[in-house]
Amino acid sequence: MKKQNVRTLSLILCMFSYLLVGAAVFDALESESESSRRRVLELKRSEMKKKYRFSEDDYREIERVVLQAEPHRAGRQWKFAGSFYFAITVITTIGYGHAAPGTDAGKVFCMFYAVLGIPLTLVMFQSLGERMNTFVRYLLHKAKQCTGVRRTEVSMENMVLVGFLSCIGTLCVGAVAFSYFEGWSFFHAYYYCFITLTTIGFFGDFVALQKTEDLQEKTPYVAFSFMYILVGLTVIGAFLNLVVLRFLTMNTEDERRDAQERASLKRDRGLLDGAVGLHAVDEPRFQIKAGRRRPESSLSSCHLDSVDPNSVSYRIQGCSPGSRDNTGLSSPGSTLSPGHSLHEFPRSRRKSV
Amino acid sequence: MKRQNARTLALIVSILTYLVVGAAVFEKLESRQERSHKRRLDARKHELMRKYNLSRANFEELELVVLQLKPHKAGVQWKFAGSFYFAITVITTIGYGHAAPSTDSGKVFCMFYALLGIPLTLVMFQSLGERINTFVRYLLHQAKKCLGMRRTEVSMANMVTVGFFSCMSTLCVGAAAFSHCEGWSFVHAFYYCFITLTTIGFGDYVALQKDDALQNDPRYVAFCFVYILMGLTVIGAFLNLVVLRFLTMNTEDERRDAKQRALMTVGTSRGEVARLIPVSASTSSTPVAQDSAKAKDLKGAYTEVLHFQTICSCLWYRSKEKLRGSTPTLLPQELTLSDAYLQQNMNRPHYMEPGSTGCVCSPRPCASISSITTGLHLLSPFSVFKRRSSV
Repeated sequence: MKKQNVRTLSLILCMFSYLLVGAAVFDALESESESSRRRVLELKRSEMKKKYRFSEDDYREIERVVLQAEPHRAGRQWKFAGSFYFAITVITTIGYGHAAPGTDAGKVFCMFYAVLGIPLTLVMFQSLGERMNTFVRYLLHKAKQCTGVRRTEVSMENMVLVGFLSCIGTLCVGAVAFSYFEGWSFFHAYYYCFITLTTIGFFGDFVALQKTEDLQEKTPYVAFSFMYILVGLTVIGAFLNLVVLRFLTMNTEDERRDAQERASLKRDRGLLDGAVGLHAVDEPRFQIKAGRRRPESSLSSCHLDSVDPNSVSYRIQGCSPGSRDNTGLSSPGSTLSPGHSLHEFPRSRRKSV
Repeated sequence: MKRQNARTLALIVSILTYLVVGAAVFEKLESRQERSHKRRLDARKHELMRKYNLSRANFEELELVVLQLKPHKAGVQWKFAGSFYFAITVITTIGYGHAAPSTDSGKVFCMFYALLGIPLTLVMFQSLGERINTFVRYLLHQAKKCLGMRRTEVSMANMVTVGFFSCMSTLCVGAAAFSHCEGWSFVHAFYYCFITLTTIGFGDYVALQKDDALQNDPRYVAFCFVYILMGLTVIGAFLNLVVLRFLTMNTEDERRDAKQRALMTVGTSRGEVARLIPVSASTSSTPVAQDSAKAKDLKGAYTEVLHFQTICSCLWYRSKEKLRGSTPTLLPQELTLSDAYLQQNMNRPHYMEPGSTGCVCSPRPCASISSITTGLHLLSPFSVFKRRSSV
């Protein structure tokens, strides 16, 4: 089976197994706590219902009101600062959902906005990430030169190590900052940064800038949050550019290589036919050549045996198409005739790469 | 300024502009409605508080209970089906947040799970997307042949059109299905599919949250999972077709620049050697001289040097030809490829792969360099002209 197909199938299988394993582990970790929490909350709810003597309808109404008012708890979400925050979560695909367009027009605009914005953002982060990697490579090179290391080339391992440490560093810096500003524990702030910078973007537990009126009042903190998200995504993007991007183009490059081989094959065949036609007059010479049937036969035709320009050129031309025919090896049984003499040459060709 | 830097700066500026414009438009669209909605909700809240004589503290307590119960309202979230759903939202980075790990160990595992899962998923979707594109290209090609069209090659425009229509129909199919199963309007269901398949995943609309569907309706659950994964594949194929090449732009430019730099340094360091072969240089470079660019002369010198090292005389023909006929960017690639071949052949006499250079090297290593040189003298005028026609 073709390499690309095997690769794709194994990746699909990997992913499915990964999902199954993940589901099992999450089930084991969370299920218990979920059911116990649910019990506690439902108990509390029935307590409160009894205490305040809510009717069913009214309680459902209260529920509805509370749930719908949830985003409003954090203050105005759609003034400019909030809209900017929202726009960031759209085009980076983080998508917290702390605020989501309520109007239909907003939803439609959001879709068009994402269609253009997401590819643009992907390209930008990869572009900037690549620039950063190049700069880091340059710095490392200089550092190696300064510290008098023997081999001053920057290896892939060096780059991966630096990239990985930058990612961890970025996460820690964010964790410290957000744990201070939002009053979360360090671990929870780290978790928030991780979920944000991987663009997963859960809502519910931790979203920054949701303490009441922060978006409107604490402008420097708002600016810091935006900068942090964009810079953090760049650092992660740079690391992905370094490590993952080459794998995204694997199949495409294999396909390209296969296509090139097929094309050169076709070209050779085409030339071969043309060359044979041209060489009709030169038959005796080619019969002699074909008769030799050694691996070197092709070489001898390449080499200059005579000074006859015509024969030289023809022989060179005869040499070239055959030599490119990698798959000529598959036709060892080709009969030896003047017209087919040139088929002999491919046999001596082998793929060395 | 270097092309990559200019490109990167331009992209940064466009993104920032895009964000500002988007923010302004969203503000215009949503701000007013937000205010009126909040007013209405507050009014209703106060009504209810008055009716049941609730103090602020009481209501806040109630609020907390209701909000915390929200995920539970939708059913059990962490049994196997729910966990699988959650795992999908993690590794595809959709991240609805309809359920999020509450235990610390769950959070830690979630982070490690994402760390490995996200690149794996990216690579898988791109891989599968590329296979699908190739298959579609093949189908289109066959279709064109069957229809007896004159030109049966599948153009990029064809592929993009087909890709775009597949994406739209995937979204519409999902919209129809979810509007029926979840009771949303078609527009809202379409919006849900879009937000899901672009992996934004707000969580304002989330499937499988009605009536404990995760536990009770396995067929619908299976449909949702299959839809999300297949939809992401279709989108991924389209991205692979249209966007992926732009993600590697800077890297490829950097690679090309590096090769050119390497070329320059070799050319200057081997300048001495190049002078030793003035004859062949002049005879062979007469066609080249017509180009006359200084860079090309340097490259000409390098190619002279190349034949000194190369076993295959044909490589020399090739590089000369490229020098004459094509853009400079092509040249470094050819020559550095030949470098690789040189390395190979320095170590052991070997067949060379014609491959992309179209090198037609002979299998037998040449015994002496001089024979190549003399051979080149004689061959060059003819070979170069003749060779061109074979490309």
